[in-house]
Amino acid sequence: MSDVMKTVLQVLSAAAALTSVFLGAWLGRKWAPPGSRYNARPVLLGMTAAALGLLALGNYLGLVWTPPEREMGDVYRIIYVHVPAMWMAMLALTVNFACCVGYLLQSSWKTDALAESTAEVGLLFGGYGLVLGAIWGKPTWGTYWDWDPRLTAMAIMLVTYVAYMALRRFVEDPEKRAVWSSVVGIISFVNLPIVWFSVKWWRSLHQVQSTPKTVDPDMTLALRVNAWATLILLTLFLLHRYRIALATREAEVALPEALPTDVPGPRDNHASEVA
Amino acid sequence: MSTALHTYTLLAQVGSGRIQGGWEYIWTAFLIAWASLSLYSLSLWLRRPGKAVNDSKE
Amino acid sequence: MRRGRPISLLKTVGVLLAKDLLIEWRTRARLNALIFFALATLLLFSFAVGPDTKVLARNAGGYLWLALLFASVLALGESFRVEQENLTLDGLRLAPADARAIFLSKALGNALLLMLLGALLIPVMVALYGVDVAMGVGPFAATVTLGCMAISAPGTVYSAIASNARARDVLLPLLLFPLIIPALLAAAKATSLVLQGDPMNQLGSWFGLLIGFNLIYWGLGFLLFPRVIED
Repeated sequence: MSDVMKTVLQVLSAAAALTSVFLGAWLGRKWAPPGSRYNARPVLLGMTAAALGLLALGNYLGLVWTPPEREMGDVYRIIYVHVPAMWMAMLALTVNFACCVGYLLQSSWKTDALAESTAEVGLLFGGYGLVLGAIWGKPTWGTYWDWDPRLTAMAIMLVTYVAYMALRRFVEDPEKRAVWSSVVGIISFVNLPIVWFSVKWWRSLHQVQSTPKTVDPDMTLALRVNAWATLILLTLFLLHRYRIALATREAEVALPEALPTDVPGPRDNHASEVA
Repeated sequence: MSTALHTYTLLAQVGSGRIQGGWEYIWTAFLIAWASLSLYSLSLWLRRPGKAVNDSKE
Repeated sequence: MRRGRPISLLKTVGVLLAKDLLIEWRTRARLNALIFFALATLLLFSFAVGPDTKVLARNAGGYLWLALLFASVLALGESFRVEQENLTLDGLRLAPADARAIFLSKALGNALLLMLLGALLIPVMVALYGVDVAMGVGPFAATVTLGCMAISAPGTVYSAIASNARARDVLLPLLLFPLIIPALLAAAKATSLVLQGDPMNQLGSWFGLLIGFNLIYWGLGFLLFPRVIED
């Protein structure tokens, strides 16, 4: 591939991704809210086609076109799926944090719905990204789990956000759910740098990084194409999940009397009585 | 038995330069990625609003 | 919301804390049960890990903090259940008590309870695991204090949330445990160093982590707790 082609590819994939993000945000406003009559099918089909096409291209570049790495041979190719997944997870969780803060400043069902969506999608990408990291570890470290700081920190964050999702599931009052999950979301995100530093210190005696040593520009290109493709997928997932969340919220808020109340029955363990 | 041998052959080469092969790890990783994305897409499709089950009041 | 002057906030905290401590004292049975639960946990670790005294001694710091963490879930869960049974939290809120004062008093009360537990567990740990407090009582007390405060601040916020949700007994540990990992890590490591000596002067950095963790979560709790209990 000529250098011109490579540049064109970089620019095109970035443009496709960023356009998709804007289209996604626009559809989020125009099509996602319940009762919208807008026919989003053409735009959605276009975005999906772009995502799948770019993903196919990126995977081809990563699996076939790029050369083997100097020390890791071919096994390093896992980064072409592992790294974009981790990036998307971090992006999603960051947006979640923004939504949580936003909700406490100005409550809105849309903010809450986006918070719910970003947490779930973040868990998806983080989850399989983590598995891929472990698979990569086996041939490079000799073991699936080496307590590598980045993977360990991500594992902790995943459990943290699973707890966030559990909280959302266990609170039936939509308003309380929104406030409490905003609080938990803020606390959880603030914990990320703390977790990162503490795990790094904790492991600082034993660390052997397994990043590829060579930074071949072709590898960078392949990684970028894969990352942009995954970004379009992230946008699509968030858009659809957001629409689902808004529909659920509408159903909940419209029929409050159909929902069980949140006050659990009094526990009969007499804990407050004098012994 | 041969996978164990293969694994040890792989591990023996860590630290001594290039790792040979390992394509089963690569395919496993990519398949898991594609499967995760597909399954999630499916779950989004099944939960979509406008479907009778999802929208019924119960 | 009325902005309390600092002195009236502190006074409110004092009053609320005294009330909670008085209730704790009057229902000592619960406190006793907590102590025995923590002791039993320490014992269980010995059996689970085996009688190799060297291994036990080396990991004693970790076992202590795990026992404290498990006991804290019970203690924290109770601290809001008491309020809920008689809807006294609503009474507290109706009285002109700043929600932030409620947070401080609850969190301090829980921290004190955990510190008491820690103090009681230490001689047991010394006996069971054959450890020696190499670095002296001061650093040890500081470690226990910082660690208990670190569990208590986010634990109080999460307990207030979980006590109002379904499956609250599972939800509290599920929320708290991943959050508390950095503090657990630091407290366990610091305790190990205090027990076994610190030739490379690492204790300072672990204390730094604990202090930072405390500052952030007491601050966040102070800020966010009112939103948790408001209607």
